Amino acid sequence: MGSAIAMLTALGAGFGMCFATAKAVESVARQPEAASKIQTILLLGCALAESTAIYAFVVALILSGK
Amino acid sequence: MSTADLIKIGASVVIFILCLVGNIHFKGVIKNFSNEVDKKTIKKKKKLKTLCFSGMLISIWFALGVFITWFSGKHSAMHIEFSMFSDRSSVELFGLKLGETTIYTMIIVLIVTILCLIFRFFVFPKFKDKPEGFQNVIELCVETVENFCIDATGKKAGKSLAPYMFALAIYLVLSASFELFGLRAPTSDLVVTFSMGLITFILLNFFGFKKLGIGGRFKAMGGPMVAMRPIMIPMKIVSDIAIPISLACRLFGNMLGGMIVMELLKGALGGYAAGIPGIAGLYFNLFHPLIQAYIFITLSLTFIDEAMEGLEEE
Repeated sequence: MGSAIAMLTALGAGFGMCFATAKAVESVARQPEAASKIQTILLLGCALAESTAIYAFVVALILSGK
Repeated sequence: MSTADLIKIGASVVIFILCLVGNIHFKGVIKNFSNEVDKKTIKKKKKLKTLCFSGMLISIWFALGVFITWFSGKHSAMHIEFSMFSDRSSVELFGLKLGETTIYTMIIVLIVTILCLIFRFFVFPKFKDKPEGFQNVIELCVETVENFCIDATGKKAGKSLAPYMFALAIYLVLSASFELFGLRAPTSDLVVTFSMGLITFILLNFFGFKKLGIGGRFKAMGGPMVAMRPIMIPMKIVSDIAIPISLACRLFGNMLGGMIVMELLKGALGGYAAGIPGIAGLYFNLFHPLIQAYIFITLSLTFIDEAMEGLEEE
C-alpha cells in the first residue's frame, strides 16, 4: 500500500515533463534555427523531472521489498 | 503434447504454407510487371507481398511459442524474479568474494583496455596528417567530447576533464549493453553508480578548491551577504553532499527500471517470448542508457562548473 502511494509521484513527474515538452515545441515552432540548443536543454530538463519519479520508484521498491 | 497444442501448431503450419505460397506468387507477379509503367498495381502487389511475409513471421513466432511452452512446462501467471541489490558472494577469486557485477565491470575494463592497446600499436602509427576513413571517426568523437566539456566548464578544466568523461560514456554504454545478453548490468548496482557519483564529488571539490582557494570557495558558498554566511555555508555543504547521492540514485533507478520492465515483459509473454524482448531491449537497454550517460555527464560537468564559480566582482 505504501509503495502504491509512493508511485503517485509519477503523476507530478508526468505533468512536469508535459509542460517542459509543450514549451519546447512552442519555442522550436517560433525559432526553428535554435532547435538543437533547445533539444539539449529539453533533454536535461526532462531528465531532472524524471528523476523525481525515479526516486519514488526506488522508495517504492524499498518499501515493497521488506 | 495435448491435442490443443497440436491444433495450434497445425494451424500455424497451414498459415505459414499459405503465406509462403502467396509470397512466391506475388514475387513472380511483381517481376512480370516490372516492364510496364503501371506503378499503382505494383505498389498494391508489393503491399500484399509484405503482408504475406509478416504472416509468415507471425506464424513462425506462434509455433515457436507453443513449442517452447510445451517444452518448458506451463508457466505460472506472471512469475518474475529480481533482487534490488545484486548478490555479493557468487564468485570466489583469490580468496576474495566478488559480486557478479564486479566481474562484469572487470570484463568491460578488459575489453576497453585491449581495444586501447590495439588502437595504440596497430591503428595510430598508420595515421596521417590528412585524416581519412576511420581516423576521421575517431577525431570527430574526441573533438566533440572535448568541445562539449570546454563549453560546459571553461577551457582549462574542460581539456583535463574530457578524457575522463569520454571513458565514462564508453563504460556506461558498454555496461548497459550487457543486459542484452541476459546478464545484470553493472550500472543497475547501487555500489557502482554511487562510486561514480563519488568521483564526480571529488572532482568538483578538487576543481573548486584549485580555482578559488579554500577561503574563496567558502566565500562563494556563503554568497554576497556577509551576515547570511553562517546560515548559507552549512546549507550549501549539505546540498553538495546530496550531489553524489542524487546522481547515483538517478542512474541506478533508471537502469533497474529498465531491467524490471524487461523482466515483466518476459514474465508476461512466458513461452511466447521469442524475439520480442530483443526488439524491446533495443530501446530499454541501448537507447535509454545512451540518454542516461549523456545526462550523467552533463550534470557532472554542470556541478563542476558551479563549484568553480566565484563571487562576481563589483
